[in-house]
Amino acid sequence: MILPVSNLKNSINFSANSGNEENKKSLDYDHDTLLHNDIVTRTRIGIDKLTNAATLYPAKGLKGSKNANFYEFLTMGMVPYLTGSAMLMAVFNAADKFYQPFARTKASELGKKMALGVVFYGLAKSISKSLISTPVHMMTGIDIERPYAKVIYELPDDVNDTDITSIEYHKVFESVEFPRWDLLYGDEAKGEKRNYRYDRIAKKLGMGHDLNDSDQEVKSRIKEIIIKASLAKNISSYLWAATGVALAFQKTWNNFFNVMTFKFWKPKEFGKTLQSFGKNFVKSAKALYKGEGEGLQKHAGKMLIGAALLSSVLGIINTMSSSKKPSKVDAADVIKKDDRYVVN
Amino acid sequence: MTTNLIQSYIANKSSGVYSPVSNNTQRTIETPKKPMPDFDIQRELDNRTFIKPLKGKGRLISGNILNAPAMMFKDAVYDAKAFKHAVKGEANDHELGRLNDVGLKLGGLAIAGYLFTKKQTPMTKGMEFIGLASFLASMAIWPKIAIQLPAYLVHGVNVQKEYEDSFGRKKFFYQDPQFIPWDLYSDEEIQKIGNRLGVDKNIPNRRDAIQEKMKKIAIQNNTLWMLTAGFATPVMSALICNQSEPYLAKYLNNRKNKKADKILADFDKYVEKNKNPIISKKLERVIELYKDRPINKEVTELLEDALTDGMDLVTAESFKADLKTMLTDNQYLINDTTAKTISKNLKAKFKGKHFDEEVLNKILPDEDAMIKLFKDNNFLNNNVEYHNFKDVSDKVVLHVLDNINLYNSTAPDNKKITDNEIKFIKKLIINNKEKDHPIRSALNKIHAKMLNSDVQAKLRNIGGILDNFHAQNDALDKYALIKVGAAPETVIANYWNDSSKLLLKELGFSNKEIEKVRFDRTLMGELLRSKIEKVASNRESYVKVMDRLGKIMADLNNTIKPGDLCAPILNNNTQKPVKSNYENKVDIIFKEFADSIYDAGFHKTSQAINGINADDNVGTLKNIQKSYVSDRLLGVKSAFNRLYNTLIMYRKIATNPNDIQALKEYSREGKEEIIEFGKICTLQGHSSDFATKFYMARNPHPSTDSSPLEVKDGKIVNKYYGKTKSVVDIPGDKYFYQDALRLMYETDIDEDAMNVLNKYLIKDEFTNYRNLILDKIGGEKYFAKPRHRIRPQSNAGSELKFLLLGITPEEFFFKAGQQTYNTNKWLKIFGTFGGILLGATVLAQFFFGKTKSTVQKGNQQ
Repeated sequence: MILPVSNLKNSINFSANSGNEENKKSLDYDHDTLLHNDIVTRTRIGIDKLTNAATLYPAKGLKGSKNANFYEFLTMGMVPYLTGSAMLMAVFNAADKFYQPFARTKASELGKKMALGVVFYGLAKSISKSLISTPVHMMTGIDIERPYAKVIYELPDDVNDTDITSIEYHKVFESVEFPRWDLLYGDEAKGEKRNYRYDRIAKKLGMGHDLNDSDQEVKSRIKEIIIKASLAKNISSYLWAATGVALAFQKTWNNFFNVMTFKFWKPKEFGKTLQSFGKNFVKSAKALYKGEGEGLQKHAGKMLIGAALLSSVLGIINTMSSSKKPSKVDAADVIKKDDRYVVN
Repeated sequence: MTTNLIQSYIANKSSGVYSPVSNNTQRTIETPKKPMPDFDIQRELDNRTFIKPLKGKGRLISGNILNAPAMMFKDAVYDAKAFKHAVKGEANDHELGRLNDVGLKLGGLAIAGYLFTKKQTPMTKGMEFIGLASFLASMAIWPKIAIQLPAYLVHGVNVQKEYEDSFGRKKFFYQDPQFIPWDLYSDEEIQKIGNRLGVDKNIPNRRDAIQEKMKKIAIQNNTLWMLTAGFATPVMSALICNQSEPYLAKYLNNRKNKKADKILADFDKYVEKNKNPIISKKLERVIELYKDRPINKEVTELLEDALTDGMDLVTAESFKADLKTMLTDNQYLINDTTAKTISKNLKAKFKGKHFDEEVLNKILPDEDAMIKLFKDNNFLNNNVEYHNFKDVSDKVVLHVLDNINLYNSTAPDNKKITDNEIKFIKKLIINNKEKDHPIRSALNKIHAKMLNSDVQAKLRNIGGILDNFHAQNDALDKYALIKVGAAPETVIANYWNDSSKLLLKELGFSNKEIEKVRFDRTLMGELLRSKIEKVASNRESYVKVMDRLGKIMADLNNTIKPGDLCAPILNNNTQKPVKSNYENKVDIIFKEFADSIYDAGFHKTSQAINGINADDNVGTLKNIQKSYVSDRLLGVKSAFNRLYNTLIMYRKIATNPNDIQALKEYSREGKEEIIEFGKICTLQGHSSDFATKFYMARNPHPSTDSSPLEVKDGKIVNKYYGKTKSVVDIPGDKYFYQDALRLMYETDIDEDAMNVLNKYLIKDEFTNYRNLILDKIGGEKYFAKPRHRIRPQSNAGSELKFLLLGITPEEFFFKAGQQTYNTNKWLKIFGTFGGILLGATVLAQFFFGKTKSTVQKGNQQ
């Protein structure tokens, strides 16, 4: 990894002019920095990514900027998710007001359930991921979601462009092929042990204490764990999302829709809305589990909950199942001698 | 598994297998004599000719409709392998990315599957999966038609190009603008694209300039894709669903109709396949529990419940009565328990009364005494009939009296039981209702009749008969439900919906017009009237509409063939009744059932099912089974016949109102009034109007002007009607209402209408319908006021009148208009939105790909 030179103090200026000092951009990070995985950081990253996805990246993309990259493309993926959700709600609700009262009532009932389904889909999908990452973190010490800030040096658009840095937020284990191992080493200048994070993981994984090179020992295990955990997250989160939609389609929500208001400035009514939401959430969960009718119709809810639960449980079991790989991987073990290897 | 070149070299060096592929090199490759231990990196780097990549295996993918299935299969295999790798913890980033898509589809299937179970009808169930498929398809199709295709047409660049890398990983060529494998494009291809992009042919590094432009277009399009997909996908998916719904509906309707036809055609086979001996099973459970035990009230109720499962309440009443007769022979058993119970009951009766315990012990027989009493009188372990209960009771009372006498003979005078007390004792024992009677209530506890093998056999026989009948009845019900059931998506419901939409179109209702009247039936009535008047005023449009309506009416006979299912009253009014297959089946099955059950001793039930005589049908279960379907069919057919008749009347008024026979005797004002009434009544008249609300505000002193009526654009130009201020109903004028009915239903059928009737073979049905109206409604006792009728008294019930009049055209179009409006409104909002989005997305192409001029670029370089 070639780390960029610091630009915190000195703005790199490609123009003949010295540049306007007042416009100098102050960056939060001057090099790739490991961040804490806490709610504040996650929220800050979320807001930052969302803001960029909705403003900066589309602007760059539509201009066809030479600095546009894959990260920006992926981050912009948030836009269709959000606009799509809003649009899906609109498709089922926007025309209601033109209908006759009876048709309007019926359409609105379905439309609101759809809208709630969209919200539950998104919530269940993101919350359910912690059903995998939290136990894995607790049992192995590997924080799959650990974020870091990456400093990017861009090409200047023209000679006057001094603003050539940008920050991207990634996760240490976002790539299973190229995890950012380097960020997990301790800073000896700060008195941290170089391998203290790897030591902790090795200990949690039952590989022993005070290993000479715990990083080498645990890397292959970590890799295996993050692959398995990613699989579990990918599959289970969508099943939980489906369960969320099913939850929204329970009849009991009609009671909630009758009292629902978004007018948070009216505390009494809004309080009632929240109260009703809570009550109906519990009721709908029970209704989904119990089902109605008979046969498949009755048990479909149980099956869906069961499938989601099972996917999470099996995911964790598979992630935690012990690896048979040797603790240290020799290059000779990885490369198959009969194969031919190429660059991309 | 992959690794970098140096690792590869190091690892393979010892084996001596590795050698560069390039044939161009003339240099020899120096191979170290020993592997790793003597590895000298400096020497290796000095001699770097070995660092030559193997030829990459990456390739561009040319996807088209022909190789799509093969590619889908390949992708599926890749995903399966990826899953296997991921489970083992060996997957790479690309594989995990693919598995995310698999999860998305799996989740989608889970949603569709769950909602499938929540929906009630095949159509709504089917739409769940179409919804999912259309959503996934929209996600894939939108970038292709709104991004890729326009970009290709405008710039000649495929911005959604895919390639497969050396490891078989399929990726978008431009997904990462910082890493585009340009070498996969040959120079020739790039130059060709450059020509299309208009890149100057004479600039240095032309390939780079072209690539830069291609990359720019791709980045812009990728961004456009992300910005538009969220809006486009749900709308496109909903539009696909909206457009595919009629096709699915048609397919399911045909399938369902065929299924129903098959039930009737292979009736016995269907019955056999779907037989479920549920009653026999329930019966066996009761028998198992109570066999060889007395049949008491509890057992009787259990047997009733088991055998009347699924039976309608009225028939069940008859059945229970028959069952009771079979199970009881009015005999009751007296045994030790009875004796003990009576003794206990007597003591309980005297408890709390003013007699001493000691006295009571002496006068009331204890359990042993009671047993002895019954034994001495030959009651014990014998049956007694209900009317003999008194004998038993008398014996007990006599015994008590004997005990009293015995007690009095020894007791001191002040302790003797007085005559009054004796009377009170007798009263306490005898003067009770049966349930409080200490003796009778014990006697009727144990029925003598036992659930013995004889009774069991009889019950099993009944259970078998009932199971068989239920299976047959279920098949008939299923057939009737699919064809004409009052439920969504039945054959008749689909027919009704399709026809009403078609007619709305044929009569020329525009969306704007519907929008204005959609909240008010009266407004719709007025609009409908003007539409019909317009159609009736022009022969061409009249013939067109009549032809369409005639076809619609005939279509019902094709979908539900009169030979299979019919409304007999409409088909056989004047001829000898011909039974439909359904009627025949019902007759046979119900008669067989009634006969079997009669033979088993269930006479009342048999009567409730089939009546007493062969033609005794009213109120029987058999008749209900038949009338349900014929009534449904009659109601629907009447609605269309009524509309057809209305158009005939309007046409007559529009073309030749002065020749209408029913109006001959009237002055111009009278004619105008009757015509107005006829027009209103045909469009709005309900069955109740004919009996109770027949009302028309008229001029009590009409003009005697007998000038001919004037017609303009199908409407009467009223000279008098509507211009008189003081108008009233004239109930005594019976001729007015009679002639109004004649105007409506006796007006000659014009040639064009007759041609259509003949063309579609519905003439008999239609003329029958008109006659039925005249007979049943014109013969109604209170038509329109008492003693106004125009036909002999018909005694038609209100149900028949209701069915014959069908839905009013006004209501018919009001409902159809609402449905169509809702669909169209939605379509307009989101269709327009989708259209604008597509237009804007396509238009954006013309602003993409602008780079600094190549001349400028050249100068810079």
